[in-house]
Amino acid sequence: MKKTVIIYLFLALVAEGFSQTEKLLVPSDLKQQTIVTEPVTLRKGFFRAGLLLDYRVADRFFNDSGEKEYYESSSFGSKAAYGITLQYGITDRFQIDVVSEYLNKLQEIQNTEIDAATNTSTVTVAQQKGFGLGDSHIALKYQLIPEIERTFSLSGRLRVTVPTGEKNPRNIRSENQFDLPVGDGTFAVSMNLSARKIAYPYSFSVYAGYTYNFSGEKVFNTLTQVERQFRYGNLFETGLNASLHLNEWIVFGNEINLYSEGQGEIDNEAAPLLPASLAFSYEPSLVFQVHRFRLGESVRIPLLGKNVPADPLFVLIAQYVF
Amino acid sequence: MKRTSLIISLILASAFVSNEINGQKVITVRDKYVLLTMPYSERPLSLYRGQIQASAGYKFAVRAQSFNKEGDLVHLKDFGTGSVYHYYFGEIKFGVTDFMEIGAVTNFLRRGIRDATVTVVSATTTATERITVNKLTESKGMGDIFLYTSVRLPVEYRWFDFAVKGGMFIPSARYEPQKPANTVKAVSLASETSTTINLHYKNRNGYGVPVWLAAAAAKFTYGDLSVVAEWSVRDPVKEGQNIRWEETLAEKVFSYYDRSYTYLLSRTCTIDASLHYQATGWFNLSLNGSWFRSKGGWTEYWGNRYENPEKRLLNLEPGFELQISPGLTVYQVAGFPVSGKDSDAPFYLYTTISFNMFPFLR
Repeated sequence: MKKTVIIYLFLALVAEGFSQTEKLLVPSDLKQQTIVTEPVTLRKGFFRAGLLLDYRVADRFFNDSGEKEYYESSSFGSKAAYGITLQYGITDRFQIDVVSEYLNKLQEIQNTEIDAATNTSTVTVAQQKGFGLGDSHIALKYQLIPEIERTFSLSGRLRVTVPTGEKNPRNIRSENQFDLPVGDGTFAVSMNLSARKIAYPYSFSVYAGYTYNFSGEKVFNTLTQVERQFRYGNLFETGLNASLHLNEWIVFGNEINLYSEGQGEIDNEAAPLLPASLAFSYEPSLVFQVHRFRLGESVRIPLLGKNVPADPLFVLIAQYVF
Repeated sequence: MKRTSLIISLILASAFVSNEINGQKVITVRDKYVLLTMPYSERPLSLYRGQIQASAGYKFAVRAQSFNKEGDLVHLKDFGTGSVYHYYFGEIKFGVTDFMEIGAVTNFLRRGIRDATVTVVSATTTATERITVNKLTESKGMGDIFLYTSVRLPVEYRWFDFAVKGGMFIPSARYEPQKPANTVKAVSLASETSTTINLHYKNRNGYGVPVWLAAAAAKFTYGDLSVVAEWSVRDPVKEGQNIRWEETLAEKVFSYYDRSYTYLLSRTCTIDASLHYQATGWFNLSLNGSWFRSKGGWTEYWGNRYENPEKRLLNLEPGFELQISPGLTVYQVAGFPVSGKDSDAPFYLYTTISFNMFPFLR
C-alpha cells in the first residue's frame, strides 16, 4: 500500500512539474530567433542568405528650402532594386556581409512643342531606362561589447562600397534618349557604431555612421560624353530603433533615421548637380519569423528633408538561415 | 484498511489521469478571447455584441495606366503623366447586438495629377521666345464622414449569413477648391527668352452633398473555404454647388476669380465577390474581384449641363488577413486592374491594422 501511494504521488508530481522543464536550446532553435532576440552578429558558422526588394516612384521632392513640392513637368520616374545579401558568422562576434543589387530605373518625360509661326506641334518623348548590376558592398561587423550574458551590446561595422554598377549612360541616341547609369562610379568606405539593449519583448538600438566617398570619373553630359572628375559629399547618418514582439513570431519595428550628405564636387568645384542633402525619415516595419525563414516589409516615410525625394520607399525582405 | 487504501489509490490515480488529459479538453466557453480569435471562416458578417473595432488603413496607388473611353489600356507613364495616390482611412464600429452594428468612417487623400507639358516657341530673325506651361492638379484633404448601420440574420453563424447595410455620407469635408498657386518664371539669355508657367490647382476632398449608400452581403462557409458576395449602391441626395477658379495673367502676375457651378454626382454601383481560404486559425488568404460602375449625373460648364462620363473598372485583389494577437489584426490587399472604361487603372497596396476589444466583458 505504501509503495502504491508513493508511486502515485510521484506520477502526479511528474505530471505537475512537466511544464517546469527547462527547454534546451539546440542550434536549430538558435537559427529561429527573431530580430529582437537574435544576437547583433551571426553565431559562428551560421550562414544567412537574403533577398531584398525596394521600390520608389518619383512624384514629390523636398526642395532646397526644405519644402515638399510636386515635380511640375510631365514626367514619371520609378526605381526598383532587387538585392541579394549573404551573411556569415566567422566567430560568435565577427560577421562578414556581401551585398549586391540589380537595378531597374525608369524616367519618362514628354514635352509637346508648338511652333507659333507654323502652328505645328512636335512631341518629344524621353524614355530613359537603366537595368543592370548596381554597386556592391562588403561589410565586416564586430561585437565590441558582446551580448553574451548581458542584454547590452556595442558593435562596429566597416563597409566598403565597390562600384560594380555601370557608372555612365549607355546607348546614347540623343540628349534625352539613353540608358541610365545604375552605379555611382566611386569607391566609398563607411564606419558605423551601434548599441543595442534587449528588454524582452522590446529591443532598442541607436546607431551612428560616417561614409567617406572617394573621387572618381564619369560622364555627366550626354552631348559631350566627356568623363569629368567628381566626388560625392561625405555622409553622416544616425538613427534610433525600437522593436517589439507583437506575438512570439511577429515583430513590429520602428525606426527614425537622419542623414546628411555634403556638397559634391565636379572638377574640384562645388557642383549644383550634386547638392548637399538632408533627410529625416520614419520607418515602421513588420517582420515575420517562421522557423528559419524571415519575411519583412517596411515603408520609409520621409518627414523632413532638403534636395531628396519625398516619396515613401517600400522595402520587402526575405531571409533564411542555413 | 484495504478499502481506505483503495480509495486513496483511486483518488491519486484520478489526479494523475486528470493531469494527463488536461490538454484534451474541448473549450465550449465563448469568452471574449474566443470571440476575438474567431477565424474568418467562423465569423459572421457583423461584430459580436459589445465588440468595438477601430481600424486604420493606408492605400498606396501608382497611377501608371488608365482605360480610355473605348476600354483600351493607356500607359500614362509613357506620356509623363503618371502619378501617385495616397489614401488614409479610419473606421470605428460597434456591435450593438450580435446582429446589428453601427460605424463611422472617414478618410484623407493626397494626389497630384500632371498634365502633359506644352511649350510654345515663337521665333523671329532676331529673337526666340519659349513659353512652357506645366499643369498640376492636386487633391488633398479630409473626406466626408460616413455613418452606417448594418443588420444581419438573427441566428448564430454556422455556414450562411446575410446582412444589409445602410448609411449616409455627411458632407463634413471642406470640398470647395482652394485658390490656385500658379507661378511664372522668366529667364532671358541674349536674344532668347524662356518663360515657365506652372499652373497648380488645389482641389479638396468630399462630395459636397449628402450621399446615401445601401448594401447587401452574403457569406457561405464550407470547411476552410468561404465565399462572400457584396453589392452596394451610392447616390447623391440632391444637386450640389461648388466653385471653379479661373485666372488671368498680366505682367507675369496671376489674378484669380471664382465662378460657382452646379453638379449632380453620378450613381455608383459596386459588386465584390471573394473566395477565402482559412489556412490556419490566424491566417486567411483571399482573392477578391471588385467591379464598379458610375453612371448618370451631370456637371455644369458655362451655364450648360454636361452628362458625366460613364466609368467602369474591374480589379483583382489577392490579399490576406493575419491575426497577430487577440486584439490586433493586419489585412493587406494588392489591387490589379483587369478591365475598365474611362477610368484610372492604378496598381495599389492597401494595408489595414485593426484593433478589437470587448470593453464591457471580463
